[in-house]
Amino acid sequence: MATENPNRPNYPLRPAATPFAAPQSTTPFGSMVGSEASAFRPPPPASSQSMTPPFPSGPFVGSEAPPFRPPPPGRSNELVRPPPPPSSSSSYGPPTAGFQRFPTPPLPSTGQVGPPRASLAGQPVIPPPTRPPGGPVSFLSQTQPASIPIGSPPQSIKTGQPNPNFPPPADQPFSAPRPNVQPSSPPMGPSYATARGNFQPAFPGYVNTQANSAAQAPYMQPASFPLQQGGYAPPAPPAPFLAQQRGYASGPPTTASSGLHFGNQMQHYGVGPPVGNSQGLAEDFSSLSLGSVPGSFDTGLDVASLPRPLDGDVEPTSFAEMYPLNCNPSFLRLTTSGLPNSQSLASKWHLPLGAVVCPLAEAPVGEEVPVVNFATTGIVRCRRCRTYVNPYVTFTDNGRKWRCNICSLLNDVQSDYFAHVDASGRRVDLDQRPELTKGSVEFIAPAEYMVRPPMPPLYFFLIDVSISAVKSGMLEVMAQTIKSCLDNLPGYPRTQIGFITYDSTIHFYNMKSSLMQPQMMVVSDLDDIFVPLPDDLLVNLSESRNVVEAFLDSLPLMFQDNMNVESAFGPALKAAFMVMSQLGGKMLIFQNTLPSLGVGRLRLRGDDIKVYGTDKEHTLRVPEDPFYKQMAADFTKYQIAVNVYAFSDKYTDIASLGTLAKYTGGQVYYYPSFQSSIHKDKLRHELARDLTRETAWEAVMRIRCGKGVRFTSYHGNFMLRSTDLLALPAVDCDKAYAAQLSLEETLLTTQTVYFQVALLYTSSSGERRIRVHTAAAPVVAELGEMYRLADTGAIVSLFSRLAIEKTLSYKLEDARNAIQLRIVKALREYRNLFSVQHRLSGRMIYPESLKFLPLYGLALFKSTPLRGGYADAQLDERCAAGYTMMALPVKKLLKLLYPNLVRVDDSLVKTGEFDNITKRLPLTAESLDTRGLYIFDNGFRFVVWFGRLISPDIARNLIGEDFGGDYSKVTLTPRDNEQSRKLMKILNKFRESDPSYFQLCHIVRQGEQPREGFFLLTNLIEDQIGGANGYADWILQLHRQVQQNA
Amino acid sequence: MVKLTLIARVTDGLPLAEGLDDGRDVPDSDYYKQQVKALFKNLSRGQNEASRMSIETGPYIFHYIIEGRVCYLTMCDRAYPKKLAFQYLEDLKNEFERVYLNQIETAARPYAFIKFDTFIQKTKKLYQDTRTQRNIAKLNDELYEVHQIMTRNVQEVLGVGEKLDQVSQMSSRLTSESRIYADKAKDLNRQALIRKWAPVAVVLGVVFLLFWVRNKFW
Repeated sequence: MATENPNRPNYPLRPAATPFAAPQSTTPFGSMVGSEASAFRPPPPASSQSMTPPFPSGPFVGSEAPPFRPPPPGRSNELVRPPPPPSSSSSYGPPTAGFQRFPTPPLPSTGQVGPPRASLAGQPVIPPPTRPPGGPVSFLSQTQPASIPIGSPPQSIKTGQPNPNFPPPADQPFSAPRPNVQPSSPPMGPSYATARGNFQPAFPGYVNTQANSAAQAPYMQPASFPLQQGGYAPPAPPAPFLAQQRGYASGPPTTASSGLHFGNQMQHYGVGPPVGNSQGLAEDFSSLSLGSVPGSFDTGLDVASLPRPLDGDVEPTSFAEMYPLNCNPSFLRLTTSGLPNSQSLASKWHLPLGAVVCPLAEAPVGEEVPVVNFATTGIVRCRRCRTYVNPYVTFTDNGRKWRCNICSLLNDVQSDYFAHVDASGRRVDLDQRPELTKGSVEFIAPAEYMVRPPMPPLYFFLIDVSISAVKSGMLEVMAQTIKSCLDNLPGYPRTQIGFITYDSTIHFYNMKSSLMQPQMMVVSDLDDIFVPLPDDLLVNLSESRNVVEAFLDSLPLMFQDNMNVESAFGPALKAAFMVMSQLGGKMLIFQNTLPSLGVGRLRLRGDDIKVYGTDKEHTLRVPEDPFYKQMAADFTKYQIAVNVYAFSDKYTDIASLGTLAKYTGGQVYYYPSFQSSIHKDKLRHELARDLTRETAWEAVMRIRCGKGVRFTSYHGNFMLRSTDLLALPAVDCDKAYAAQLSLEETLLTTQTVYFQVALLYTSSSGERRIRVHTAAAPVVAELGEMYRLADTGAIVSLFSRLAIEKTLSYKLEDARNAIQLRIVKALREYRNLFSVQHRLSGRMIYPESLKFLPLYGLALFKSTPLRGGYADAQLDERCAAGYTMMALPVKKLLKLLYPNLVRVDDSLVKTGEFDNITKRLPLTAESLDTRGLYIFDNGFRFVVWFGRLISPDIARNLIGEDFGGDYSKVTLTPRDNEQSRKLMKILNKFRESDPSYFQLCHIVRQGEQPREGFFLLTNLIEDQIGGANGYADWILQLHRQVQQNA
Repeated sequence: MVKLTLIARVTDGLPLAEGLDDGRDVPDSDYYKQQVKALFKNLSRGQNEASRMSIETGPYIFHYIIEGRVCYLTMCDRAYPKKLAFQYLEDLKNEFERVYLNQIETAARPYAFIKFDTFIQKTKKLYQDTRTQRNIAKLNDELYEVHQIMTRNVQEVLGVGEKLDQVSQMSSRLTSESRIYADKAKDLNRQALIRKWAPVAVVLGVVFLLFWVRNKFW
């Protein structure tokens, strides 16, 4: 036991919330609870033999069942020895396996792989600790037996059961198979299967089983023991915990007992402890049967069985379960929750290693971020690395010191933050300290965090009033929308507002509160811009409300006869900058034409088809004039965020205009060929949301992480102020940022890495706050573990950002190929993990956690910024989509990549409610029935698709009498009949679920070209479009590439 | 003309409100803000200061009044009439106390009453031009007497604390240095002793050695 102590500091201590924190340090058993992260560390061979407990002992229910205080190890030794390992382990080992296995999607292949898997399942003892869904549970349950013989009477087990994971239902089904097992005879196989089947529902049965198994212990065959030793003898790296050793040791016996046909694998395991891990993984992977002969792929692929994310994005739960104190995944998602422990391992992980952060994401209901005010204390932070106090810090020295979880420096606790620490290491005031129990908190910043008094929310409008703006009706819609939002602008009564309009001249408006009407001042000198009035161009909204309203009312009229076609955008931008630079704030630019006068004038350059496919191709996607980047840099410096609204039907060089938004934390909204009659609702909704959503002003963000890892690159819309400080003049819930990690040291010695995202911002109400999200992730030594803990959503998000950035300096094709190559490499590496053990030549294997990766990869290649070549997307659209995707949070990105396709005609006809229309269909033309009505929703637009043979009643009810006519002119308006009302209700329901953009409804009839192709068919990403692959071909292509040089 | 306006709690120097986009045409407004902060810090240390004071700094002058443990401070051009400046502060004070009086003590975060800046802004504009009828009337108002208000220099005010610090520092340095001196003196004394008697001792030693050698071998 003495050997244990030195290890203690290394435990990834589960913060004090778990009552077991203290036991960890005192008894080896307790420590298992916290040791999940390190559980895969191979144990030292010697001790594993001597200490082997008879039962596959994992840490037991730990936090949930405190009554099982683990007994002293010494005793456990003597008691534990005699009972035979195999019987006990075999008795419930397999069930575990069954449980773990079932979650994997039942692919057609399961049948074939079945036997070997089952065999693996026999030894699940090691894997469970790391398993996401069943992980903690099974892990814990396994330890339990260990404690039983040691002294705790079986009754006590039952008392432990009440916890939700172990509902009492006894599992008689279990005990039945068990006797069969002992003889370790062939029949066992089938019996297992049944056991498994029964077990799955009644997983809780474990506890009882264990009790039984204890009784059966004597049956064990001693013969298996040596075997086990043999298996484990090979020297292993220093073991962190005895506890794990138990877990390990008991593993082999299981196999031994469970069947002769496992013999081969036993030898396999003997090779080295780590193998134990990969076994666990083996249960995880899924495979696709691609035909038995490598040459005849085309026949063997069942398209219907390919994995599809029809349930939307699934956040990895394993992470949250392992570290319940982590912040919600909507704030921070890692591409893999298992960080590699060495650089060599990291280099084998070909997917991006990093995180996607959405600091202001709307918190799930009931989990609002608590606000903490350290009024007198000052914010508690680590002296050295400036980490904020969080749930993972540990208090020592009777509460007088705390250890920083990121740099492990021992800090003094200030006297007014002091609280006593109880026996288990928890502070007595824990329940009053949200910062020590919650992964996300918000601190009220003291005066040291302010360079100046908190700024008021400020909205400045820069409006193009040239002829196209007036003709398209944009001006009117915009003015109305702003006027309707005046009441809802955040920050009353401090909110500031101002306007500049421009065509070939620049118009300033004096909105002094004492005036009745705004005064207009025209500056026509574009070379030497000056501000005609020192004050009153930017006014307090609550004071000048009447003037502002009068201005907005008259704005469309003022310019209704304007015939000016020029646009002095650059000079106007400079003028706006002069007005705003004092305070900062948000600038909304409404641009209708290509900037044609003064600085920053741009040329028509997008039409050059010859450039495509050459090395110069990317220049079209980067800003033409350095003026824009320079302006963006100045804007960020003065806390100005720019949102660009572009409306033109012609080329407006979004690539250049968007730069302003990119570096100032803004956003690009693009409405190609804006017509107020069609796009009115969309502009109105999105502008209103932009104006009224909760915004964080003058923000900076930094992500800290533990020793040995470092964030090397950041991707998104922001400006990097120093190496790791993101300057964000304005942030809101619709913005996410991605960052890539790298390992600084060749070997990580810690077992857990902590991440802390800190966003310092000014809220609209004028409070300076710091939002802090903290998360922990285990360090793993196995590539398989990394795959198992991978998060497809975060990976795809990072991939898309990397690819879009790559299009700015390379050809589209290069960007696509780079991503494809990384996916192939990753799958190949994964394949290499298993190809030795299984004969899988004809199948494609991939980790369960990454089953959607190929599909999302395909979707990414077909997304607007990356698809095809010149003709496949307008240059402006491509750039606008690129800027948008750089900022999208994970969930919305995934929905954009793999949109929802839902059939609704049945629910329209049926009476009653329609809660079950959420069944999403695969995105292929085969899903479309000519008699059906479908809604396609990618978060940005709806397409309502009418089948050719749809019942005329429905069509007439929905779009009126001219349902046979031209659908491009038809809009879907509410009509006075049941079906129309229902459809509207459905659409509204979809819209409410995703309010960040307005989904404009396009109606398309089957066969109506080219609209059908444009709106829907190009977006059916599983189909073969143009030169791009269909899903099945894509998978085959990937598979072929994976197998090359495999 | 009013350049800066700040309102702070005297007990701990916590800033409560500040005029918006102040200091636009003051080239180094940050430097003066620093001075103001230092001033607040001095006040919060409980140094006895008059409740009304003017402090000269560079081309500008600070005026402040302390009332109900809140300090209202403004920075103006030197040429700006003192009388108007103090009336401006009075106006702010009256409004601030009317709105926030019972929240002042409980304010826990800096700039808790930042919303007051709109009022500061409005009032400031009234006082902007000294030649308006309203302001001339105020200037001529004999009832409001400002002659008694002391004018000091900012170095002097900020220097008080510094000087005290310096004195205590010097005295502590003095004690430590005197201790070192005493040690050194002792050491020197010993060395002098050694230097004085060492040759004699050596000579004697040699003599005795010779004697001893002679006795032994002869």
